[in-house]
Amino acid sequence: MRMACPRAPGDAQFPCNAANFMTSAIVSVTGMSKSFPGVRSLDRVDLEVARGEVRALVGENGAGKSTLIKIIAGAYRPDDGELAFDGRSTRWSSPHEAARAGVHVIYQELILFPDMTVAQNIFVNDQPRNRFCLIDKADMRRRATAILEELGSPIDPDEKVRNLTVASQQLVEIARALKSNAKLIIFDEPTAVLGGHEVDILFAMIARLKARGVAVIFISHRLEEVFAIADSATVLKDGKLVGTLPVKELTQSKLVSMMIGRPLADMFPPKATSEPQGAPVLAANDIWSGPKVKGISLALHKGEIVGLAGMVGSGRTEIAHALFGSAPLERGSVTQGGTAATSPDPCQSIARGIGFLTENRKEEGLFMLQDIAVNISAPILGRIGSALFLNRTAERMLARQQIAQYAIAATGPNAAVVNLSGGNQQKVLLGRWVNTSNTALILDEPTRGVDVGAKMEIYRIIRELANRGLGILVISSELPEIIGLCDRVIVIAEGRKTGELTGRDLTEERVMELAVATGGAGLPNGVAA
Amino acid sequence: MTPTQSTPASTAVTRWFRRIPLSLIVVVALLLLLTVTGTVLSDRFATSRNFLNVFQQAASLGVVSLGQTLVVLTGGIDLSVGAMISLTSNLTSGLIDGNPDRVLPVVIGVVALGAAIGCMNGLLTHYLRIHPLIVTLGMASILQGVTLLYSLAPLGKVPQEFQVLAYGRFLGVSIGGLAMIGLFVLAAIFLHFTRTGNAIYAVGGDPRGAHLMGISVARTLAIAYGLSGALAAITGIYLVSRMGTGDPWRGEGFELASITPVVVGGTILAGGRGGVLGTLLGVYLISLLNNLLNFLDVSTFYQWIIQGLIIITAVAINVERGRRA
Repeated sequence: MRMACPRAPGDAQFPCNAANFMTSAIVSVTGMSKSFPGVRSLDRVDLEVARGEVRALVGENGAGKSTLIKIIAGAYRPDDGELAFDGRSTRWSSPHEAARAGVHVIYQELILFPDMTVAQNIFVNDQPRNRFCLIDKADMRRRATAILEELGSPIDPDEKVRNLTVASQQLVEIARALKSNAKLIIFDEPTAVLGGHEVDILFAMIARLKARGVAVIFISHRLEEVFAIADSATVLKDGKLVGTLPVKELTQSKLVSMMIGRPLADMFPPKATSEPQGAPVLAANDIWSGPKVKGISLALHKGEIVGLAGMVGSGRTEIAHALFGSAPLERGSVTQGGTAATSPDPCQSIARGIGFLTENRKEEGLFMLQDIAVNISAPILGRIGSALFLNRTAERMLARQQIAQYAIAATGPNAAVVNLSGGNQQKVLLGRWVNTSNTALILDEPTRGVDVGAKMEIYRIIRELANRGLGILVISSELPEIIGLCDRVIVIAEGRKTGELTGRDLTEERVMELAVATGGAGLPNGVAA
Repeated sequence: MTPTQSTPASTAVTRWFRRIPLSLIVVVALLLLLTVTGTVLSDRFATSRNFLNVFQQAASLGVVSLGQTLVVLTGGIDLSVGAMISLTSNLTSGLIDGNPDRVLPVVIGVVALGAAIGCMNGLLTHYLRIHPLIVTLGMASILQGVTLLYSLAPLGKVPQEFQVLAYGRFLGVSIGGLAMIGLFVLAAIFLHFTRTGNAIYAVGGDPRGAHLMGISVARTLAIAYGLSGALAAITGIYLVSRMGTGDPWRGEGFELASITPVVVGGTILAGGRGGVLGTLLGVYLISLLNNLLNFLDVSTFYQWIIQGLIIITAVAINVERGRRA
């Protein structure tokens, strides 16, 4: 088994070793290159996907995945290289041309019209018409129903799209692609916006597409999904092809090492060696809050990283809000840096050195259009200037220092946060909270939507902060992350604590056992209100 | 993926009811409330004679609001309709100047002019990426200036026969009022049964998405604003027929008055949701309200206040609906 595919220019039929297990290619890319000012985004990449094949496309952010799919979908023109679709060499003039030929991309941000019906959305650009040139609604509904049935979906074609769940909305887009005879459907991180059960529905749908002979290219940061759905995986790194391998020849750690270019064991920093000492810096004493926090007690000590694990909807986030004071306590109390409080509030919590990174960094955390310096200094404006005026020079200096410390990839303190990658945005937020927090940090899904390389850096920063004496509480849905990063893990099921794991007991199996301990935590069921 | 199904018949009926927008129910309820109140408070209100009068009087507001609806559905707004009415009304009477032979060419020319200026609004918005509020506000100022350059005072007159449009009756019902209904029906067919009509909803819902789906945003906006301009021109012509002459300030106030029935009827300013039925009901609601307040000798100032309250209330209800959905 070879890690890197040898390139064979001029041999378009089998540009890649992995082509051996395919029969007929729907799309074939050879020696594809694309540069943007200052960046070589794609460097002589080969890719071949067969009809009915599900191909995972993985790599860190900036590896060239988006550039590659945009070239295949006609949104970018390549500088160099061959593109063949459906057996014919081609170069798309526009995304429409690619779509007419049968290439469809389903972006994370769906292209749907929420106030139009499902049928209108499916036929938004070519409604069937009768001989008076008027839209034939009956025919449109009939054809929409037929496509939806073929996809095994019970969605009503007359329902407005705004009333559907995200999963059903994705399905409407898939139906639209099928309506125009899609031969290749590219999914750009489709699962990032889905709940657990909805992912299963999407995967069932992809299996149906595969059975119809439609080829699928699937981009995801969640590697377990690659193994769940893909036949083969293509790994890109720094714009270059690392390799294409059938999934059965891959393991998760092998895939990660291909993506990051070094072994997986290095992913997490070493754990704490000594037992935590002294009184807890943040503790919950039998707290109740809302329907999802039922009698939780926990303690977080100086220098320790504690994980909060459980199913989505088990109450993890609600516990964090209760600890921070952003949700009211009905019973019990929290201890913040040695002070007990029965009704904590966020201002007090911040004053006591507690920080809270919420799971929605765009909505609840960052000022997206402002620059890095402004984002970092926002909560500590009082400290960087006189009573009346801000010291902008000091603000920039602080930002510059943190950009260096956390290896934030940006042009400087004046870079707008909206232009940073997810990982770098998260580092800006971490930088901000570290300035105000000297007691404890609560991190809710700190690496969501962040690529593998940036994840590693965030893990390193988290451990560094713990070593500096902060207590850190991490909430995460990714078990390998919880297990690799945390010294101790508290498992929550249906709002109750079902166990605590450390050392050798801390395995995926034990966490899962406890996570479903009270009989199946509330999984999202995919039903719209 | 969809809520659990009970018996097919009951779900079909429930679904049908659920799909009636709340805004329409609210307007119908307000219309009923107004009619009942009017009947109680005034014995002249609930008479067929009065209703036929209101039906006639609503025509001008109806036609201009219809055009406004098309623009608001694209997510835009047309503030130039008032000045357009002023321009077209004075131009129509000035050019016809009592000559029956000129009626047809002038009417066609004026409507085409309205359509062309409207198209320009749409294209400027699209290609210069300026908010339609600014484009049409600027256009309003330009049109008003041109109108006043043309004439500072009411100009010309129209032949007696021309006034059939405003005062003529067919089986006792106002021809102008019927023509307005006819325009609404045409617009409904246009919106729901043509590709361009559907494109208006798509562009209003998500312009970038519409572009990516191969819908021409420029063309769609040009058509929506063009129709709004043409319908404002028709309103100007209709008002000439009613008054017997044009007036360089005839359309003053119509830019805002035309928005009221649109938003009361449930078309949201963000675009993509709503329709002409709501606007039609909104037009009758406002017209009946003013009619009743006149009967009750309520000062015009109170009429403004009540209209303002209705706009805010109706829109607040629609917003609430959006949150629940």
